[in-house]
Amino acid sequence: MKRIDAVIKPSKLDEVKASITALGITGLTVSEVKGFGRQKGHTEMYRGTEYTVDFLPKILITIIVADELVEPIVKSISDSARSGKIGDGKIFVTALDDVIRIRTGERGKDAI
Amino acid sequence: MVHVSARRPRQWLLKAVVAMLFAQWLAGPVIIARADEPQPDPAGIATGDKTSTSDAGGNAFVITAPTDKTAPDYATTKKAFDDFTAQAAKEPLAMKLADNVGHLRIAANFSWTLLTGYLVLFMQAGFALLTCGLVRKKNAGHLMMLNFAAYVFAFLAYYVCGFAFQYGGCAINAAPTQLGGTPTLDHFAIGSGLWGILGGKGFFLSGPGYDAGSLCLTLFEVVFMETAGYIIVGAICERITFGAFLLCELFVGGILYPMFGCWVWGGGWLSQLGNTMGLGHGYVDFAGSTVVHGIGGFCAMALAVILGPRIGKYGPDGKPRAFPAHNLVYVVTGTFILLFGWMGFNPGSTLAASDLRISVIAVNTNLAAVAGAASAMFLWYYLFGKPDVTMACNGMLAGLVAITAPCAFVSPNSAVIIGLLAGILVDLGVLFNERVIKVDDPCGAISVHGYCGWLGAVCVGIFADGTYGAGWNGVGATTYLGKAGLGVTGLLHGDSKQFITQIGGATLMAIYAFGFTYVVFSLVNAVVPMRVSKEVEMEGLDVPEFGLPAYPEDELVDAGSPVAA
Repeated sequence: MKRIDAVIKPSKLDEVKASITALGITGLTVSEVKGFGRQKGHTEMYRGTEYTVDFLPKILITIIVADELVEPIVKSISDSARSGKIGDGKIFVTALDDVIRIRTGERGKDAI
Repeated sequence: MVHVSARRPRQWLLKAVVAMLFAQWLAGPVIIARADEPQPDPAGIATGDKTSTSDAGGNAFVITAPTDKTAPDYATTKKAFDDFTAQAAKEPLAMKLADNVGHLRIAANFSWTLLTGYLVLFMQAGFALLTCGLVRKKNAGHLMMLNFAAYVFAFLAYYVCGFAFQYGGCAINAAPTQLGGTPTLDHFAIGSGLWGILGGKGFFLSGPGYDAGSLCLTLFEVVFMETAGYIIVGAICERITFGAFLLCELFVGGILYPMFGCWVWGGGWLSQLGNTMGLGHGYVDFAGSTVVHGIGGFCAMALAVILGPRIGKYGPDGKPRAFPAHNLVYVVTGTFILLFGWMGFNPGSTLAASDLRISVIAVNTNLAAVAGAASAMFLWYYLFGKPDVTMACNGMLAGLVAITAPCAFVSPNSAVIIGLLAGILVDLGVLFNERVIKVDDPCGAISVHGYCGWLGAVCVGIFADGTYGAGWNGVGATTYLGKAGLGVTGLLHGDSKQFITQIGGATLMAIYAFGFTYVVFSLVNAVVPMRVSKEVEMEGLDVPEFGLPAYPEDELVDAGSPVAA
C-alpha cells in the first residue's frame, strides 16, 4: 500500500479527478492548502502600494492505493495537472503501514 | 471591589438620563413662543397660503406694501401694491384659490424634500458597505457596528442641540420659503443680524422647533449631518475604540457640523459676506461639498493624525504597506448605493419640487460622478499599469463630492470638467496622504471628502455661469453686476469676488474642521486613549470589542492567512 499526496493547482482539480477515477480508485481526500515552492509568491498592487502574496492557494489530493496502481495514478495525475508553467505542483509517494475501515474493522488492503 | 467599580458608570449613566429628562421637561414649557412671536404650526394647517404662491420667475403673487419711502422705485412698487389691493378686494374667490395653491405648493415641496431625504438616508447603507468592503476581514464586524452607531448617536446629538445650533436663526437671513419659511426659528444664540455664529432656537425640537415646516427641514438636514458622521468612519476604522468613536459622533452631530452649517446654510456670517463685505453672493455651497463632506473629511483627518497609522501600515523603512480590501463586491455595491442616494442629496437641496432646476442638478451630479470615475481610473492605469477598482470607486465619489457645491450653478460641460478634476485630485490625494504626510486613511475618506470637498466649493467660484441663484443669500435679487436676473457667477463668467470668497470660505472650513477636532480630541486622547491595545488590533477588533466576528465560520481558515494577519 502506498499513500500518494499530490499538490496541484486549484483550477486543475476537475481534470485530475476525472482522470484518476477512471483508473478505478475507490476514494480520495481533497484539502485546500496554502504554500510555496519554486514559484514563490507574487507581487500585486493595491491603492498604489505593492504587496506580496507569499503563500499561494493549492489543492492537496490524498489517495491510498495498492502498490500496482501507483505508477498509473502518478502518470495520470502528472498528465492531467500539467500546464507546463511554474507552479504545477508536486506528487509525493510514501509507504503506508496500515489502513483500518472504521465501520467494519477491516484492515490492510481490504480496507482501501 | 471589581463589582463596585463596575456599577459606578451605570449609576452615573442613570443620573445623566434623569437629568436629561428633567431638562427636557423644563425646556418644553419655557421655550414655547411668546404671544408676540411667530407661533409654531405643529399640525401643518397654517403652513403655506397665498403668500407662498409665485410665478415661475419667483415673483410673488401677493405684493407687499413698500416700507422704504426713499427707495428709487418707491413710486412703482407702491402703485403695484395699490393695484393688487384693489384687485384683491374685487375678487375674494381668487384670494381663496391662491391660499389653496400656496398650500399645495408647500405640500409638493414637503413631499420632495422628505422623499429626497429618505434617499439620503439610504446612503448610510452605501457607506456601510463601502467602508466594510475596504477593510480587512478581521475588522468587518467592528466596521458595521461603527456605521450603525454613527447614525444612532449623531442623530440624538442633532436632536438635542445640533439642529438648534444650525438652524435656530435661519428665519433671520435664510428662511426656507420653499417650506413655508419656518418663521419660528428666529434667534441666534451667538452673533446677531448678518453676523450670526450659532443658532439658538429649537432645542430638543420642541417649542419653536415643534413645527411642520421646521421638522421637514430637520428630517432633510439630519441625514446630511449623518453623512458627515459616516465619513469619519473611513479614516479612523480598524483601530479606534468604540467608546471614543461614540464621543466623536456626539461631537460631529452636536457642535462641529451644526456650527459651520449655521455659518453657510443657517443664515450665518459666511453666507452674508455678500451683504456685509460686498463679496459676491457670500459664501455659496449648494448641497454641502464643504458643509457636509469637507467637514467630515477634515475632521477625519485630524482624528487619523491623533490615532496614528494602523500597526504594520508602515514598515521599519517607513515605506507604506498594502492592506487589501476584503470584499470588492461590497465596495462597488456601496458606491452605487451612494450614487443613488446622491440623487436625493443634490436635487433635494432645492427643498422644492417647484424649482425646476432639479433636472439640471440631477444630470450634473451624474455627469461629474462618471467623469470622476473615468479620470481616477485612467490616471491610475497610467501611473501603475492596472486600473484599481477601489480607486475607480473613490473617483466616482470624488466627482460626486466636488459637484455637490456647484451642481445647481454650472452647465453640464462644467460638471464634466469638475468631475475630471476631482478624479485626478483624489488619486493624488490618496498618494499624498499615504506616501508624503503618512496619514493612514484605510478608505480614502480624507482625499475623497476633504480635498475634493474643498475643490467643489472653489469650483463654484470658477464655473458658476449666472443662470441660477438670483438673489442667493439676499444678494442681487433684481440685478447683479448690472444684469437683471443674474445668479451666482464664477471667475470664468466675470465675478472674481465670488472666486475669492469661495477659496477663503473653503479654506476656512478645512482649518476649522481640522483645528477644532484636533484640539478637542488631543485632550480626550490625553485623558483616555482612543486607540485599542496592540493585541486587540493584531487580533482584529470584532471579537475583543463586540464578542462576535463578522464571519465566524472562517475564523479557523483565516487565522493563519497573511492578508488577515
